[in-house]
Amino acid sequence: MSATLLDPPPHISPPTALHLSQQAPLVLASSPASSLPWPISLLTSSETPETWSIHENLLLACLRTGDDRSARQVLDRMVARFGDENERVMALRGLYEEAVARDKGSLEKVLKEYETTIKDDPTNMPIRKRHIALLRSLGRPTDAIAALTYLVDSSPTDAEAWAELADLYASQNLLPQAIYSLEEVLLITPNAWNIHARIGELLYLSAISNGEGGASYKGLAEAMRRFCRSVELNDGYLRGFYGLKLTTSRLLTLQVPKRNDSSAEDLPLPPVTTIEKLNELATTKLAEIVRRGSAKESGWGGYEEAELIAARELLNRDGANVVR
Amino acid sequence: MTLISTSLNGLGLVLLTHAVYSAHEHSLLPTTAALPLDITIELLAAVLLLCIGIVLASPDLKPIKWSVWGGKLSREEHKAAEKAGDVTERDPYEQLDVRRGFLDIRSKRQDFADWVREGATK
Repeated sequence: MSATLLDPPPHISPPTALHLSQQAPLVLASSPASSLPWPISLLTSSETPETWSIHENLLLACLRTGDDRSARQVLDRMVARFGDENERVMALRGLYEEAVARDKGSLEKVLKEYETTIKDDPTNMPIRKRHIALLRSLGRPTDAIAALTYLVDSSPTDAEAWAELADLYASQNLLPQAIYSLEEVLLITPNAWNIHARIGELLYLSAISNGEGGASYKGLAEAMRRFCRSVELNDGYLRGFYGLKLTTSRLLTLQVPKRNDSSAEDLPLPPVTTIEKLNELATTKLAEIVRRGSAKESGWGGYEEAELIAARELLNRDGANVVR
Repeated sequence: MTLISTSLNGLGLVLLTHAVYSAHEHSLLPTTAALPLDITIELLAAVLLLCIGIVLASPDLKPIKWSVWGGKLSREEHKAAEKAGDVTERDPYEQLDVRRGFLDIRSKRQDFADWVREGATK
């Protein structure tokens, strides 16, 4: 697995974090700032735009692995370069203080600091986000949701905030609210295949908790449509095909509800033949991904091992059903 | 492919230089005769060779269909950029799943500590 400080993967696993944070001495050995006075320092400094993203990624990796001393040094460099008042640096300093806090009291203190900062400057988005993340981390999701709804009210085009709100709602089992928030994300990024798949997953969850009636069938059909859209946008998306297979298999086991209980403004239910075809398509695609992905053919190495195992299990389960 | 395109480009450049030099020398002659046909042919051949060489040397085209592009991002293993200026493309929507602004550093630290402990007991 390739990971560099310049370009770390979005999901950092513990071994990757260790690998990244071990590069700390190397980065800290070469100082980007020059010790010479101002006009000459412009010529002699080795600073590039990438320097600071490397520093930021290093700080996050060090905090993860508990290398607090290197993290402090990196943070001090950033403060020296961008000043105390820089919003991004403020958020990173908050992150550092959260990470090194030993007990609940010091975390409460960090929370208080965030609140005073927000009171002084309500437009400080990075600190607002840290505030919400800390509330959630302290096990106060209701407060976090209240703060986050206020944030998306004042900044409704922040897709990241809407996605976090959806995740918070989903963690509280408020599925309709979570789906609404994800639809807001889709208004900002209409082609986000993972958000389409996520809505499909939530619809699937709420449909199977609805029992076996017509409402459940309708919910599953809606989930199927969402998964269809996600694989339409990305024809190698394992998660989308997995969901498509799951929903279509379940739809095929249910009784098709009568026509008259669907109101006029709803989309018509998909015909059974279409569902069967989609199920077949998802099965072939998943089988291909599992076969070529586990064989690590060239150009097929992007799938994670856990995802491939889950997909193989789903295929085997389905195969066993057919044999019986 | 790089060998073919490099040799085509090299040959094309040599022919082009030669043709241009010949045309220049011809213009210095006291006669007012038209440009000899062989110089014209050499020039056109050189331009043709250069065109083919440059097209062959160009990098692969990116998929223009959204689904093919997305599928490529999912299927292929990502190569991390080693140094500044490396062009690497990532799934642009994954940040909506990760949400770095809301990073819960304490649970990540806990995960790492658990991983280390697990490794120690094994």
